[in-house]
Amino acid sequence: MDNKEIAPLTQKELDYQAREKRVFDAIALNTPDRVPLVCQDDYFTLEQAGITAAQAYYEPELAAKAHVEGVSKYNWDMVSLWAKFPGRVGNILGMTAIKWAGHNLANHHNYQFVEKEYMLADEYDEFLQDPSDFTIRKLWPRMATELEPFAQFSPLRAMTHSYTPIEDLPYLAGKPEIRQMLEKIIEAGKEYNKFEDIRWKATQAFIDRGFPVMNALEAGAHAPFDWICNYFRGMKGTMLDIYYQPDKLKAAIDLVTDPIIENAIQLATELNEKVVGIPLHRGADPFMSNEKFEEFYWPSFKKLLLRLIDAGIIPAPYFSGKFENRLEFFQELPPGKIWGHWDVIDLKKTREMVGEIICFSGNVPGSTLISGTVEQTRDYVKLLIDTFGDTGGLMIDGASAIPKESKFENVMAMTETVFDYGVY
Amino acid sequence: MTEELFSAISNLSKGESLSITDELLQNNMKPVDILNIARDAMHTIGERFESGEYFLPELIVSGDILSAVADKLKPFLEGEGDTEKIGKIVFGTVAGDIHDIAKDIVVFMLEVHGFEVIDLGVDVQVKRFVDAVQEHQAKIVGLSGFLTLAIKPMRDTIFALKQAGLIDVKVMIGGGPVDELVCKDTGADAWGPTAMDAVSIARGWIGTTA
Repeated sequence: MDNKEIAPLTQKELDYQAREKRVFDAIALNTPDRVPLVCQDDYFTLEQAGITAAQAYYEPELAAKAHVEGVSKYNWDMVSLWAKFPGRVGNILGMTAIKWAGHNLANHHNYQFVEKEYMLADEYDEFLQDPSDFTIRKLWPRMATELEPFAQFSPLRAMTHSYTPIEDLPYLAGKPEIRQMLEKIIEAGKEYNKFEDIRWKATQAFIDRGFPVMNALEAGAHAPFDWICNYFRGMKGTMLDIYYQPDKLKAAIDLVTDPIIENAIQLATELNEKVVGIPLHRGADPFMSNEKFEEFYWPSFKKLLLRLIDAGIIPAPYFSGKFENRLEFFQELPPGKIWGHWDVIDLKKTREMVGEIICFSGNVPGSTLISGTVEQTRDYVKLLIDTFGDTGGLMIDGASAIPKESKFENVMAMTETVFDYGVY
Repeated sequence: MTEELFSAISNLSKGESLSITDELLQNNMKPVDILNIARDAMHTIGERFESGEYFLPELIVSGDILSAVADKLKPFLEGEGDTEKIGKIVFGTVAGDIHDIAKDIVVFMLEVHGFEVIDLGVDVQVKRFVDAVQEHQAKIVGLSGFLTLAIKPMRDTIFALKQAGLIDVKVMIGGGPVDELVCKDTGADAWGPTAMDAVSIARGWIGTTA
């Protein structure tokens, strides 16, 4: 018999199991031994170590070391990796759809998506008729300068005859600009592998120290409405489409829904993740009435949630902004299956309406962590425990991750309060 | 017919709004009067937004309709369409933050309520705010930010305005991370969670309830 099989678990392995159980008990609304701390830390620990966003994007090894060392000190139950942006990959591909530190933002600023109409108002038919072709020949060239030569490809449906491999493809690959593009993609792949390798090693380092990692949140999905709104039509374009071409907008949302779901399930399976993060953007209250939410946003989002649950995966929607008007919709969801990360929300109302359906996580205000006092931070965490503790389904985190500008003593106060006050 | 234009715009029917505008022009209605009806309709849209009947899509669609109507009127207006503004506000999303949604809503509401807004856009560096306030002699500044990283540039901008001797300029802040704590921390004069708060604050500062 292999010695390893009979060896007792190490303390770190036991810690890992206990932490993971605490988290999954809370998600299932089974009261754990203590309220779990599940803290998304994109930049805070790096900031504490004097590492800028630009360094995180371009010197991931440096970031990995500082992040793992720093985060391990807090004794959180589930940890995250630092913010993911592979700077060199962005440079190699001439990425224009994102701005980032070390390239076209100041060194200490987080990367940000450049929202615009990547698909124009009159291009729906083209996309709906042949989405893959549209993606490759129109969308990619609009997102990165080095991918512009894709626009020179013939329509993909015209490249379906038997001579394509020896004629069309070599013809294209013979063009200097297309060769250069292909070389750039290969170079980007090599850089990406290096970047991912470092992140994978950081994950492993956390596991070795007994900390489960919410890489899960990166094996992510998007609400189909957000997908079209963020990546295709932009906020303004989509809002006009709601009135001017609602059927086409709905058709595009329908078209991307199943691929989003299948992709999320496949990624989670490959990475052996139990959770899929879903950052939500445009479903928040100010973005539309409940009537429009029900018509345009909810059906495909609900389908995503239910299909993930059916596949044995825990959906972890991050309700960015205020989703108070939508609570009545969330009452349709099955209890104990969803990890909800809340940004700004009325606590009492949320407790009443979905407290026994969705595990409540997050919500410690960034303003408190940044500008508040230790006492204010403690009081807020206590308020969360007092409001949601009785459901068993409560986990503590910042409202929108742990902001990098947070005061160290406030992050410590948040953590300690859970250990002092959050034991069931 | 003027009632119909008002209701077509306020009920967000672009086609009708444009065809009625054409008819009114053919009937020799003064373009400036047509524009005033459109502005009244925008005011109603603003009220519906405040009351929770309208949301972001409705604001955006109404803006689109208004600009289409204004385009039709422009050739006939020759500067007549300018109305008197009740106050001047320099507005922008602070340095490092490229989010414009909240800013655009607030700018919309301020304009609907009669303010002249100098919209500097997103990722506005500290110096541009100071320069714009001096150039336009504005007495009110609005700083918007969606990310927590916006707090520091808000503080820096407010500090720079004071350093430049613009001590009588009032600054209001708003956006995702902003609350009372952040307001104190940055040295802002006021903050608000909604677009209508910005209107009330600005009205208070210029001493009007109009």
